[in-house]
Amino acid sequence: MVDFARVQKELADCNRDMAISGVSIMLHGNGNDLSHLSGTITGPLATPYEGGTFQIDIRLPEGYPFEPPKMQFVTKVWHPNISSQNGAICLDILKDQWSPALTLKTALLSLQALLSAPEPDDPQDAVVAQQYLRDYQTFMGTARYWTETFAKRSSIGTEEKVQKLL
Amino acid sequence: MEVFLSSDEEDYYYYSDRDDALEGLDVEEDSYCQPKSVASCQVITKESLLIAQREELHRVMDLLKLSEQHARTLLIYHRWDAEKLIAVLVEKGKDQLFAEAGVSMVEQKVDFSLQSSSTIMCNICMDDIPAKEVTTMDCGHCFCNNCWTEHFIVKIHDGQSRRIRCMAHKCNAICDEAVVRNLVSARHPDLAEKFERFLLESYIEDNRKVKWCPRVPHCGNAIRVVDDKFCEVECACGLQFCFSCSSEAHSPCSCMMWELWTKKCKDESETVNWMTVNTKPCPKCYKPVEKNGGCNLVSCICGQPFCWLCGGATGRDHTWSTISGHSCGRYKEDHEEKSECAKRDLYRYMHYHNRYKAHTDSFKLETKLKETIEIKISILESRESTLKDFTWLTNGLNRLFRSRRVLSYSYPFAYYMFGEDLFWGEMSKEDRELKQNLFEDQQQQLEANVERLSKFIEEPFESYAEEKVMEIRMQVINLSVVVDKLCKKMYECIENDLLGSHQSTIHNIAPYQSKGIEKASELSPCWISKADDSDAFLQSVSNIQGGTTEPGWPSSSPNLNGNGCSSRKRARKALGDGLFDLNLPA
Ligand SMILES: [Zn+2]
Ligand SMILES: [Zn+2]
Ligand SMILES: [Zn+2]
Ligand SMILES: [Zn+2]
Ligand SMILES: [Zn+2]
Ligand SMILES: [Zn+2]
Ligand SMILES: [Zn+2]
Repeated sequence: MVDFARVQKELADCNRDMAISGVSIMLHGNGNDLSHLSGTITGPLATPYEGGTFQIDIRLPEGYPFEPPKMQFVTKVWHPNISSQNGAICLDILKDQWSPALTLKTALLSLQALLSAPEPDDPQDAVVAQQYLRDYQTFMGTARYWTETFAKRSSIGTEEKVQKLL
Repeated sequence: MEVFLSSDEEDYYYYSDRDDALEGLDVEEDSYCQPKSVASCQVITKESLLIAQREELHRVMDLLKLSEQHARTLLIYHRWDAEKLIAVLVEKGKDQLFAEAGVSMVEQKVDFSLQSSSTIMCNICMDDIPAKEVTTMDCGHCFCNNCWTEHFIVKIHDGQSRRIRCMAHKCNAICDEAVVRNLVSARHPDLAEKFERFLLESYIEDNRKVKWCPRVPHCGNAIRVVDDKFCEVECACGLQFCFSCSSEAHSPCSCMMWELWTKKCKDESETVNWMTVNTKPCPKCYKPVEKNGGCNLVSCICGQPFCWLCGGATGRDHTWSTISGHSCGRYKEDHEEKSECAKRDLYRYMHYHNRYKAHTDSFKLETKLKETIEIKISILESRESTLKDFTWLTNGLNRLFRSRRVLSYSYPFAYYMFGEDLFWGEMSKEDRELKQNLFEDQQQQLEANVERLSKFIEEPFESYAEEKVMEIRMQVINLSVVVDKLCKKMYECIENDLLGSHQSTIHNIAPYQSKGIEKASELSPCWISKADDSDAFLQSVSNIQGGTTEPGWPSSSPNLNGNGCSSRKRARKALGDGLFDLNLPA
């Protein structure tokens, strides 16, 4: 059983300072399922993701918080540790380094940090990682272009676009 | 007297005219089965598992003045290799040894449970919890009992019982096993039992020197080796296996060769290969048609002629280079080479496989010989005769079994040693031919002598006159010696002349054991006797562990002192030797 009391506290806590932190969490698609959430992070400054708003699909497994939440980018993003195909994320705290003492907010903040500091040696998307390592200029250009195209419209528009692309 | 070997082998063949060399050959060869002072492998049964584990635990507990659970954490981290653990201790010091493995020892923990009136905020469930319902781990992190329990259950279900880490982010500390035991058993007694078993079986499963016996269905035993991981052992249940890869004993084949060989033997592709080399489907009726003769125009029994090379239907008129009304361009021999190649590979495999199989089959037949020989011996014993001792016969039979084994596994070895799969690029053609000749000479000698030994042992000598029996006795004794030497020589040749030093690190081959595969001995009796009250022992330990919050060796326990005293002394002595060794110049 998901610890819903905790999830509710987490939501309240996270959204209290969303203006400062740049991350927020809502129930998915205006539903009332506390185990299916939707996170939002703003692209960090001085990165090709600056100015973008990125949506993350969050699903809480039965054992949450003793098992890690499942997170996936809904907004398409060009980044070595995020699949350009399906938004899957390679981040240790979402896998074996998860600790029940972490929260959805800390996980989203880690994703934001990942946008600032890619780890191309442990890639999720080999193509992007290759480009990042061999042709940084092109990588920056593509990442910026993807941010412009996918992360700067209303979230609904983005989702439609993504549906088309997938 | 017959001479069996060419003159250059005479130096180690007939000893009959040198009585001193024969002296002692009648002695029971199987005496090695008796318990030796230093056994190189031991069998660990369900009953002795706890005891075996305690040996290692006590060594570390005594050396570092640790509680059992901290010793276990260290040992699990180092895969039960106390020597390695000590090396890390010497090299990096105690603090790092502990930190790496996740053993944390806080000087004084804040014990929240004493402040019974207050509440504490649990960072996991984010609730205020009465102080008596929280637990602080050795690392100092404190969460509520509910959350701890939930965490433990998830980890045990995940199969991570042996290393359940603290819930705090980036805390490497391993949770106190007594806390796990107590909290989990309160909610989920079955799972607590599982946890206990996982801890115990860690000694087998996380241990480089211990392996489960691979018998199916499982005999419940595990085998512990002293130092050589590349050896062949015999479990108390009678199964002989390669300790390194847990499949049947296969020396002088290396584990890698054996794995490839078994896969190859199972592989249907060999037969598929044969089919593609030797038959083609008719383009009209699809029946497989075999090619006979060199001509590439073949005819199906349905009457349809077709081109062997492309499989296309053709007319009947043809020359060596054309078929009327057909021009696939391949007719002129260009495929021939490829299929010849596949054919050659197949024949090569069949050559080795046939011999391998012939010897394995003989081995199976000869196993039945054992009973026949026993009958023969009892007949001979009942006769009025000066010949009373028949150990030469049982020894000869055992020698036959062992050398037959060596012989049969020498074929897959040769298949890979001189084939394309493993060493093709590493030897020149000349080098390979030289080595192959060397090996095959030895193999043939061994083969010839094994067959002779087999022939003599199978003779119906129980009805022979005594003089004739004595002659056979001499032959069997002599051949046993020769065959043993030839086996030994073959292993030496493989190690020194064929594999060479750098390849032998990949192709570890269990050493030749003249006396056969060693039977694992039981754990020494003084330990076994203590196994009787092992449950009580475990119970007492868990009581101590559960009852004390003090890290360190629970020296006040009368139970441990009474029960484990001698063992601890023994362990200390052994450890002392180990430490001493470390200080010796390398
Ligand atoms: Zn809690
Ligand atoms: Zn901790
Ligand atoms: Zn067994
Ligand atoms: Zn093996
Ligand atoms: Zn046909
Ligand atoms: Zn013809
Ligand atoms: Zn053709």
